[in-house]
Amino acid sequence: MNPMIIPKAALDDWVRLLRSSYRVVAPRPLHGQHVFGEVGSASEFDLGYPTSVLPPKKYLFPAREDLLKFRTDAQQVEATIDGPRTVVLGVHTCDMHAMQLLDRVMATGYSDQHYLAHRNKTTLVSVECLKPCTAGSFCKSMGTLSTPEVFDLHLTDLGDAYAAEVGSDRGAALLPGLKAARPFADKDTARLNRVMSEKWPRFPLRLEFDVTELPSLLSTSYDSELWKELGERCLACAMCTNVCPTCYCFNVMDEVDLTLKSGKRLREWDSCQLDKFATVAGGHNFRTARAARQRHRFFRKGKYQTDAFGLLGCVGCGRCAEACLVHITPVDTFNELYRRQHQPAAATPQGG
Amino acid sequence: MSAKPKIAFYEFTSCEGCQLTVVDSLQLYPELLEAVDIVRFREAMSEMGDDYAIAFIEGSCSRPSDEAPIKAIREKAALVVALGACAHLGGINTIRNRHDLGEVRRFVYGDKAEWYDTYPARPISAVIKVDAAIPGCPIDRHEFVRTVKRLLQGRAPELPDHPLCVECKLKENVCLYLRGTTCLGPIVRAGCDAICPTYGDSCEGCRGLVPNPNIEHLKEVLTEHGLSVDQTLAKMTQFLTYQVMEMEAAGHGDPQPAH
Repeated sequence: MNPMIIPKAALDDWVRLLRSSYRVVAPRPLHGQHVFGEVGSASEFDLGYPTSVLPPKKYLFPAREDLLKFRTDAQQVEATIDGPRTVVLGVHTCDMHAMQLLDRVMATGYSDQHYLAHRNKTTLVSVECLKPCTAGSFCKSMGTLSTPEVFDLHLTDLGDAYAAEVGSDRGAALLPGLKAARPFADKDTARLNRVMSEKWPRFPLRLEFDVTELPSLLSTSYDSELWKELGERCLACAMCTNVCPTCYCFNVMDEVDLTLKSGKRLREWDSCQLDKFATVAGGHNFRTARAARQRHRFFRKGKYQTDAFGLLGCVGCGRCAEACLVHITPVDTFNELYRRQHQPAAATPQGG
Repeated sequence: MSAKPKIAFYEFTSCEGCQLTVVDSLQLYPELLEAVDIVRFREAMSEMGDDYAIAFIEGSCSRPSDEAPIKAIREKAALVVALGACAHLGGINTIRNRHDLGEVRRFVYGDKAEWYDTYPARPISAVIKVDAAIPGCPIDRHEFVRTVKRLLQGRAPELPDHPLCVECKLKENVCLYLRGTTCLGPIVRAGCDAICPTYGDSCEGCRGLVPNPNIEHLKEVLTEHGLSVDQTLAKMTQFLTYQVMEMEAAGHGDPQPAH
């Protein structure tokens, strides 16, 4: 299908139209930040937002989710798989890369029924990023500044209108009924080309080496002193993993009601940065040191995911860098590891 | 005789606000009254039974004369639960522990200071063995009900051992540090559903420290965000005095193996 033009003046009509068939969520401003939430009109959200507190991953993998209901007296178990059909408006390309990884992880081996059910009910409308969003982001270095093929509809801001590229039937289904939408004309192609060529120089390359070297760099940095230095600073608050668009660890809990005979099983996001994350039956904790936990985190992001799923576990969104109160960031960490390997004598403590 | 477990509530140095929260919990979960038999509860009934299996104790032990009744409760109850920050941590009563107690008494009671016997405030667990604690100032009503359910199941109640930042972030609050203020969230035990940050107030630590808190580096963060040494000390002593003084006595108590 050829690209379409959606005039910005028609955004409000579009949202109202979509709401007749979907829950529509988009980045809403809150205390100087943005949070994805349900919207009823175009005035409630901002598609030019810098970044969101939590990634839109939360619609596929909620922070807290019921898994099943049970009755112990009747030996009954019933899966709880529910959720509205949802359109997520305004997904950045880094977050699209993250969802591409999650799609792979959640469908591999024992597939995650809850994730897949949400995924099947979700239409992803991505937006082209035209300028760097925060000081912490480094998408260009990570190769995530263009959307991967998993988008349903992809919007590019042309000033007074959006160019809308259709990526799937689900995406195509969002446009019929919107009278103001029209097919691309020649002048639209020229406008889109100009916007696309002008955007790239605005983004800095922040890694001091090529990202394809990252898994190997980590392999040879397992015993680096840097992990110990990060461990001394780390507060183990887990904000880095909780804001991460590719983290997917969770804890499973049962809650009974006051009859003690029925209840539900639920899951909640967990984090490898927490003190008890690696505590196993019998009470042994095989990752007690914050240094070891930070190392584990960066290995997950820069090497283990690539080994297991062929995609990097860090998409350069910068959320963890913005959230960390002691300024531990992926860019500084990866660059410092690189410097120590290549200029061991000139190594300096990270972060100034 | 009823087969339902008999429950009693007791209070020492406290405001009894945690027991008011229990009253609130009973309104939220009236079915709780089907599961237990309350025999003593000063905030809600006149009867005073002293035959009970589970004792909830609110308040800290703050004078020598508190010790005998606390020990008597331990003798009678199969299970003792510390209810709220004063019983769990010593609470705000422990602020005085860093000061000269004679001066504190004169400040509070003036020329009647000699009438009142007092010593450094302590949590109930410093006097008797406590089987479980429900943290908070006041307690969280949902956590109270969760704890009762665990006790009725014959399971040990579990407190979250992760910091408040986890709950706060999962609720997608904008970090208070990004809103220009400070917060003890990174070192304080979760379980309150981050109620204070959710309403824009910073965490003051009423649920106590997480295991292995990185206090040294949180102090650096507080300094970086403009807090003076005195302000930082005030933050660390509102609810956390007893725990922090215990860590100091143990030679800092923040052990972190290198790898």
